[in-house]
Amino acid sequence: MAVLTVENSEEYQKYISADKTTVALFSASWAEQCAQVNDVLNELANILGDKLQFITLDAEKFSEISMKHQIEAVPTVIFFNKGSAVDRVDGVDIAAISSKSKKLAESASSAAATGQTLEDRLKNLINKAPLMIFMKGDRNAPRCGFSKQLIAIVNETKLPYETFDILSDEEVRQGLKTYSDWPTYPQVYVKGELIGGLDIIKELLANNELESSLKG
Amino acid sequence: MSKYDAKYLEDKLRARFDASHVEVSDDSDGCGGKFSVIIVSKAFVGQTLLQKHRLVNQSLAEELKSIHAFSQKTYTPEEWEKVQQQK
Repeated sequence: MAVLTVENSEEYQKYISADKTTVALFSASWAEQCAQVNDVLNELANILGDKLQFITLDAEKFSEISMKHQIEAVPTVIFFNKGSAVDRVDGVDIAAISSKSKKLAESASSAAATGQTLEDRLKNLINKAPLMIFMKGDRNAPRCGFSKQLIAIVNETKLPYETFDILSDEEVRQGLKTYSDWPTYPQVYVKGELIGGLDIIKELLANNELESSLKG
Repeated sequence: MSKYDAKYLEDKLRARFDASHVEVSDDSDGCGGKFSVIIVSKAFVGQTLLQKHRLVNQSLAEELKSIHAFSQKTYTPEEWEKVQQQK
């Protein structure tokens, strides 16, 4: 398996929508660093080619696609799962590109191996800990204002909890919204039951009901 | 960018919940991506917090797809009165 060069936008669409997770390098011929990343992708394609596909496209030639994904510099690597961007690495960060590729390859193979449905996966995730928080980023680096406020409030209770970064998994991100009939993140679960989002946590806090609610 | 403004949301929520009081504030400096709302309605009587928020989320299901940040406070008329007294 080698890195495939995208010639036109139909081809691009076909690649990123495929069942296989796609690693896409947005590059430019004049940037030496792009060649370096391309070499790395070639190596990764050798090891992970059965689980992931690797493509490269000229960021300037496909300016619309680049705009859509806010490519501000080359090289940028974006990871696609069934048409949606699930992760990205801006610039030459070989370690990040490798580890993210490997992680995605692992999750692809574990899903295939266990034959686990999305619903089973979601059930397992919300029951992973008595107090589970689905958020953008993690507790040390929340990546949205609401998630950040939520973590600050929950930290105050000193209760143990686990988090799941929905930005790392588009399937969970979309699936859980439908599963729990709740359109936004963060989401807080106690013993597998949805408690709510930030507004509800704030209200529980104001009513002095937070700790008892989080203990379940 | 979102195609919704505070007036639109206010009208929609007022109609949907037959609300006695609705406040919508656009916290996005007009770009329409960030709102916070207060809704006071009899429809919330006897509902849990989660159920109340679900009702609101459902009523704005389509809109919430393009609104980036949305926060809500829901009160029954009785609760709202108490909140007002505390101010």
